[in-house]
Amino acid sequence: MLTTTAPGLDLEASFEQALQGFGLSPAAAHLLWLPLPMVLVLVAAVVGVLVNVWLERKISAAVQQRIGPEYAGALGVLQPMADGLKLVFKEDIIPARADGLLFTLGPVLVLIPVILSWLVVPFGQHLLISNVGIGIFLWISLSSIQPIGLLMSGYASNNKYSLLGGLRAAAQSISYEIPLALAVLAVVMMSNSLSTVDIVNQQTGAGILSWNIWRQPVGFVIFWICALAECERLPFDLPEAEEELVAGYQTEYSGMKFALFYLGSYINLVLSALLVSVLYLGGWGFPIPVEWLASWLHQPIDAPVVQLITGSVGIVMTVLKAYLLVFLAILLRWTTPRVRIDQLLDLGWKFLLPIALVNLLITAALKLAFPAVFGG
Amino acid sequence: MFGFLKKVGDYTRDAVGAANYLTQGLAVTFDHLRRRPITVQYPYEKLIPSERYRGRIHYEFDKCIACEVCVRVCPINLPVVDWVMNKATKKKELRNYSIDFGVCIFCGNCVEYCPTNCLSMTEEYELAAFDRHSLNFDNIALGRLPTSVTSDPAVVPLRELVYLPKGVLDPHDVPDTAPRVGKLPEQVLESLPSGDAS
Repeated sequence: MLTTTAPGLDLEASFEQALQGFGLSPAAAHLLWLPLPMVLVLVAAVVGVLVNVWLERKISAAVQQRIGPEYAGALGVLQPMADGLKLVFKEDIIPARADGLLFTLGPVLVLIPVILSWLVVPFGQHLLISNVGIGIFLWISLSSIQPIGLLMSGYASNNKYSLLGGLRAAAQSISYEIPLALAVLAVVMMSNSLSTVDIVNQQTGAGILSWNIWRQPVGFVIFWICALAECERLPFDLPEAEEELVAGYQTEYSGMKFALFYLGSYINLVLSALLVSVLYLGGWGFPIPVEWLASWLHQPIDAPVVQLITGSVGIVMTVLKAYLLVFLAILLRWTTPRVRIDQLLDLGWKFLLPIALVNLLITAALKLAFPAVFGG
Repeated sequence: MFGFLKKVGDYTRDAVGAANYLTQGLAVTFDHLRRRPITVQYPYEKLIPSERYRGRIHYEFDKCIACEVCVRVCPINLPVVDWVMNKATKKKELRNYSIDFGVCIFCGNCVEYCPTNCLSMTEEYELAAFDRHSLNFDNIALGRLPTSVTSDPAVVPLRELVYLPKGVLDPHDVPDTAPRVGKLPEQVLESLPSGDAS
């Protein structure tokens, strides 16, 4: 496909140029730039979680014909802050017979890969921390560190429920990683690149029509199911299963360590939703290509104002798509009953895995047969 | 080969069926989003208790003849009737009367059997206390009338579901004058032929 993408907003280049104008060396300018996107993305991730928790509570309430949080801030928007503050001020308990080091390391090991994965989430052509060449593969490999953290916290708690919960969580994560990777592989095959930016650029040809969801509908469904399972969202929240079980590997945790699990699971949900929108829903792409809109309005695509508007539209579109998926996840939470552990593993190994394999093979065949449409 | 194809077919049918059920379920939950909350925002809104609500018991000291029927019909002999026999008049003289609402099960037997109707049920249900002993009401406390939900200016009174007009499910904007669904007992009596009323 010959898609000449516009240069787009390059904040890094402009920032470094401006600093060099003040007489700084290029290396110093780059050093000053480096922490900015990291802090920004970290803040974005945490704010994303707060919004997510608020949405979760409000949508859950609406589905159950309740009102939900109302008095903490307007419409209860400060409720997630209150929840977080409560957890910060709670006593940090390490059970007497638990392994202190592993017990502390567990939640950290769950959270860090999730936050690190934000490295490759693009909000625009140049609006990401780092355009790593192996972007999406980096995310898959990082997310396979998570089960180690889950096992670690389950084992270190010295509690049989925690251990069982940890084992189940690890089993779930590992078995859903495979169809997930296969679904991603089909997308990667079409775009000939592991880089998230390239994957989005491959979908920008004809607006909504060129999004991967039309070429990979099965892959989209597989990816979404696996992403829900990876995030331990209902209907796959067996490790926790709040209504039925002791809280699994989280049983012995309280205070900030519990908050890390909580934060991790919500950041993971937002991240998964963002990656679904990147892989299947055209990332920052507007349903109608902005280049077309600009030419209809007789505006040069390179004009600074147009660049600014396209950049903002890109960010808004990415976030909007991600939050639509989050909405779907929350709605699914109150729609579907929880699966049993054997059903969960059956679905992963006997259903999603073969389907993902067939999907991959068909994609490969289609790529050979119609290279123009399926990315030659 | 044929068996394999049949398996694939069954597989696909199962998957499509599951997807169908899932979309139906999602449609139900999505439809609920636009419905108005049915919850009562409790301290600010309260439901009007029904006429025969069995709340905290009201007691009129002056009517009581200290017969102790309430104690005998009580499943746990709860009311404490403190009386002495006045030798001169040969009559019982009531000194104190108390019911412990921390123990009472609100069955209403005492109210049912009281020969002088000095006991009655109120619609008060907010009996939370910091100390369970403060729920042991003496005859002064028992004689107090509860604040009615409808007369409390700080509370929006809401009608319960069965007291709403026909077809209305949301109690919020129903005017006071709107009649409830169905007929009141006296309306039923009126509608009967006069001969049957005997």
